[in-house]
Amino acid sequence: MSRVALKVDKLSVWFGTTSARRQVVDNVSFRIGAGEAVGLVGESGCGKSATALAILGLLPTTTATVEADGVEINGRDIFSLSAAQRRRILGRDVAMVFQQPATALDPVFTLGQQIGAVYRRHTGISKKEVQLAMLGALEQVGFGRPEEIASAYPHQLSGGMQQLAMIAMATMCKPAVLIADEPTTALDNSTQAMIQHQLKRLQTDHNTAILLISHDLGVIRQSCREVMVMYCGRLVEKTDCDSLYAHPRHPYSAGLLSCIPQISATRPAGISAIPGQVPPATELPPGCHFAPRCNRAESQCRQSIPVLDTGLDRDVACFRQL
Amino acid sequence: MRRTWQGLKSDRFGMGGLLIVAVFGVVALCVWTGLLGQGWSEVSGERWEGASTAHWFGTNILGQDIFQRTLFGTATAIEVGLIVTFFSTLLGMVLGALGGWYSHSWPDEIILWIKGVLDSIPFYLFAAAIAFALQGIHWAMHLAMVLTFWTTTARIVRGEVMRIKEREFVDAARAIGLPGLTIVFRHVLPNTYHILLVQGTIVFVAAIKTEVILSFLGLGIQDGVSWGLMLAESSQEVLAGHFGNFMAASVFLFVLLMGFNLLADALQDAWDARRAIP
Repeated sequence: MSRVALKVDKLSVWFGTTSARRQVVDNVSFRIGAGEAVGLVGESGCGKSATALAILGLLPTTTATVEADGVEINGRDIFSLSAAQRRRILGRDVAMVFQQPATALDPVFTLGQQIGAVYRRHTGISKKEVQLAMLGALEQVGFGRPEEIASAYPHQLSGGMQQLAMIAMATMCKPAVLIADEPTTALDNSTQAMIQHQLKRLQTDHNTAILLISHDLGVIRQSCREVMVMYCGRLVEKTDCDSLYAHPRHPYSAGLLSCIPQISATRPAGISAIPGQVPPATELPPGCHFAPRCNRAESQCRQSIPVLDTGLDRDVACFRQL
Repeated sequence: MRRTWQGLKSDRFGMGGLLIVAVFGVVALCVWTGLLGQGWSEVSGERWEGASTAHWFGTNILGQDIFQRTLFGTATAIEVGLIVTFFSTLLGMVLGALGGWYSHSWPDEIILWIKGVLDSIPFYLFAAAIAFALQGIHWAMHLAMVLTFWTTTARIVRGEVMRIKEREFVDAARAIGLPGLTIVFRHVLPNTYHILLVQGTIVFVAAIKTEVILSFLGLGIQDGVSWGLMLAESSQEVLAGHFGNFMAASVFLFVLLMGFNLLADALQDAWDARRAIP
């Protein structure tokens, strides 16, 4: 494994006040090497975004409690930094791409102003140089006429173009780590491909480590070598993409895989779905959180919590592995 | 900006309002630069003369020219409107933004408490108290208005900031390492400017009306002339059948406020049209 760019050690997140707090992320640990891409997959409400925001220290301290043995970005533990020191790292060493580019961009400034401001803040170079670098970044993500994009307001662009501009903004400072929270979910398939191509380019050109959060296993397979499956705040399976797709060990991973619509000449009999719903964090079942929805669950699953075992080719948290 | 202007240009009532406001503005400028209305305190005729070429609106009880006094009153009204609007909007914007950003924590509590105290004092009592405390100071009336008018602006801005700070671009701004206060003043506040524009026009109109009322009551202008003072004079004259002061002050006041309201409505529409694009 190459140099570690992002290291997360036993990260836990609670929402709510001390009297009524509920755990949304439970003891999550992983590391991503420079130039690698790791996928984080799970249904909505599994704690994927909370994990991302906690890594950046962006959760509001009034409503969220974050505990971790350490979160290191490029070798620096960001929880031990002061607020001012952390701000210097955010945007420069680690950047984030959001799910909804339309709302993640400030509607009253042009894209050029917003993209340039990030670069200027972290480098402190002259306005003219910033302008050149900003146009260069827009050109790199595939805009033929960057000047036009730079002078446009966010609402004047389509969702895909907004997201490409967001990526240009996130990559201005060539960050060591990029966290992409469902970057393609709101976009159509061909635009998805463009975004994925840009993420790949970042990996190879700038050796950026990417944490790609998605509920779409297809997207993750195309972009990532490794994948982590999350359910109710816990990692349940962690392995490389190929073996997960070939042979999922955790029943939840298997369920997610069977939900992917297949394209074939014959009309499929129906769409399969995992029965039941993700329980709210206030009503987590004891034992394995997935047990109530799992067709392989036994009494042991309902009583004790399976730990993430380090197996031969993968880590799985299940008593009744497939 | 250009699109706002395009929208305004296509609105006939709005352009009429703009014309009216512009004429009043030019009059005020001419008074300030000494081109018009300089004879407002001079006794230039007999008591209660009728309209004539020498005295367009006639003269008052002392034989002063009512037309000159009306023009000077225009400058007074515009001055009060501009100063009160500027400072109360500035104060309301800054304190409202801080309150909204730090909502439900101590800065917000303090600002809310001050707002509550100021709002609970009857306005004319408050203005009278300040006029008494700052006797002879020209800015007493302005101060009373700024101190009470900013609360409404602050309340609106606070609510809007509380709404906007939940938007994703605020998280995005945090994710690139901007400190909180930079985010409020550079990214959140600019998103409230359309509301400030509307609220500013409302404050402007309210300030002019309030100036006239305060001056009428003797709590306002002391060292010049105002439409309010003219109306106060006219309360004796109308009974005696002399309508010069009354007509001049009330018609000017009415036309200015009407013009300003037309302009404000049109501005709001033009601005909204630009915002309506998703």
